[in-house]
Amino acid sequence: MSYICVRDLEKCFVIREKRKQGALLREKKTVRALQEVSFDVEQGELLGYIGPNGAGKSTTVKILSGILTPDGGEATVGGRIPWKERKEHVRRIGVVFGQRTQLWWDVPIRDSYDLLKDIYRIPPEDYRSRLAELSRTLQLEELMRTPLRQLSLGQRMRAELCGSLLHRPELLFLDEPTIGLDAVSKLALREFLLWENRQYGTTILLTTHDMEDIVALCPRVMVLGHGRKLFDGSLSDLLGRYDTVRTVTVNYEEEEAEPELPASIVPVREGKNLTLSYSPQEYATAELIARLQEAGTVRELTVQPQNIDRLVAAMYREMDL
Amino acid sequence: MKAYLSAFRMRRRMELQYRGAVLGGVICQVFFGLILVAVYRAMYAGKPQAFPLSHITSYVWLQQAFFRMLLASDPELLDKIRTGSIAYDLCRPLNLYGFYYVRIMAQKMTGSLLRAAPMLAFAFLLPEGWGLMLPASPEGFAWSLAGLLLGLLCVSALENITMGFTMRTLDSRGMQALLNLLMMILAGNILPLTLFPDSWQRVITLLPYAQLLDAPIRLYTGETPLSAAPGILLIQILWTLLLTGAGILFWQANQKRIEIQGG
Repeated sequence: MSYICVRDLEKCFVIREKRKQGALLREKKTVRALQEVSFDVEQGELLGYIGPNGAGKSTTVKILSGILTPDGGEATVGGRIPWKERKEHVRRIGVVFGQRTQLWWDVPIRDSYDLLKDIYRIPPEDYRSRLAELSRTLQLEELMRTPLRQLSLGQRMRAELCGSLLHRPELLFLDEPTIGLDAVSKLALREFLLWENRQYGTTILLTTHDMEDIVALCPRVMVLGHGRKLFDGSLSDLLGRYDTVRTVTVNYEEEEAEPELPASIVPVREGKNLTLSYSPQEYATAELIARLQEAGTVRELTVQPQNIDRLVAAMYREMDL
Repeated sequence: MKAYLSAFRMRRRMELQYRGAVLGGVICQVFFGLILVAVYRAMYAGKPQAFPLSHITSYVWLQQAFFRMLLASDPELLDKIRTGSIAYDLCRPLNLYGFYYVRIMAQKMTGSLLRAAPMLAFAFLLPEGWGLMLPASPEGFAWSLAGLLLGLLCVSALENITMGFTMRTLDSRGMQALLNLLMMILAGNILPLTLFPDSWQRVITLLPYAQLLDAPIRLYTGETPLSAAPGILLIQILWTLLLTGAGILFWQANQKRIEIQGG
């Protein structure tokens, strides 16, 4: 059996909203946050979990971390049912909710870690070496005596991550860990997660809206929409399906270059620049480039795949999300 | 067990950081204490009551000194529930009720001891008929300390039930406004319970609110005879057990139906 095993998971939420007419009455609406979601994750895997807002990503994480009880279906993590054997289960997992905080607001972060040490019953020796290791790799050494409220968002996220990993969880849930971070912090965070995964074989399940996170970290991606699983496979497979537009820009030495192109490709001319879009499935890129070179002296040529966010947007559109 | 102790210590340390708030609280409570004492003195000047004035002024000062034990919910915990950061606490290998209970207790205990120490010193220095009397007897004092500790356990259990309601409604204000009104009146903060009609007292002294401060104060002033002290403590213990048990069941029910919204 796989390390994480999810079968036909179901979760409904009841939402009360105001009626259009009649200010006093509310209508009950049931939202199916998860519908028949099934998947498996092996130990040591890095799994990216994407989908538009409200797709059910966080709900899955909350069920797998033992916070929510599902309305139907089964799930086990390491052979345990999270919501039934909560205490035993949570001892082995670490969680980072990108928009919330687990450390104490008004006290130095080191004190929060000391409390976590007692909560997870980490042996003192182990705690010392693990804290030293984490604070070195996450560059927290200078910040240990600083209260959480005085940290920047990037520092805080690193501090949260350290707190979630102190007890060496075998499974780490990251719910939008890079939200609001600057480029440097994002890169550092990704690098750290890879390191942790390679060093200790920690299984990581990551939900995010930042596709760069997925590109950098996750060989496997799962797409969720309207509570259903829509895709499960490698990132390149996913992108291959929706990689339908490519753009080439050529800069010629002379102004009158007229490459011979298939009729369906209409280039846009701007002085010595020529821009054209095509579908890589219809035309081979190498052939098009050869034709462009025949027409004149090329000074510069760039081929751009579609922006990954646009790809995902196209995918969500096609999946009707 | 160590985890709960650490959480208690942590919350205590946090409470010690807010020294400005302590000073403000002390000034406010001294002010209220002086006004109340003046009111009772005026009342006694008009028509002396069966109950000695020094007992009343002592009652007022002890109530004011431990005011923090009654009111003041932990804003941090309420915030956690409102914003959903409670999700983190649900991911700990701990009993959530116990985890919150020790934090509530630490806040109430530290907050009220910090305020009580300077206030009681001040009240002792006031002249007879204005200030705080010495305990009626050493034994009575010992009983009242035990009673105060039980009162703390009892009020923490009550507060944790309020937390349970907050988990359902997400906003503590309605429930708190209601419970605080009950608490202020029935705990004897607004009017000492000793001044209620005897027939009323027979009932209200049995209610949980009377166990918080009223019971230990009566043991201190000697209004409760030493022979009755074990009985008083028994009532306190019963309420503490009952409220804690109810709270644990309530939280367990809550945890099954919890939803953490957003993000």
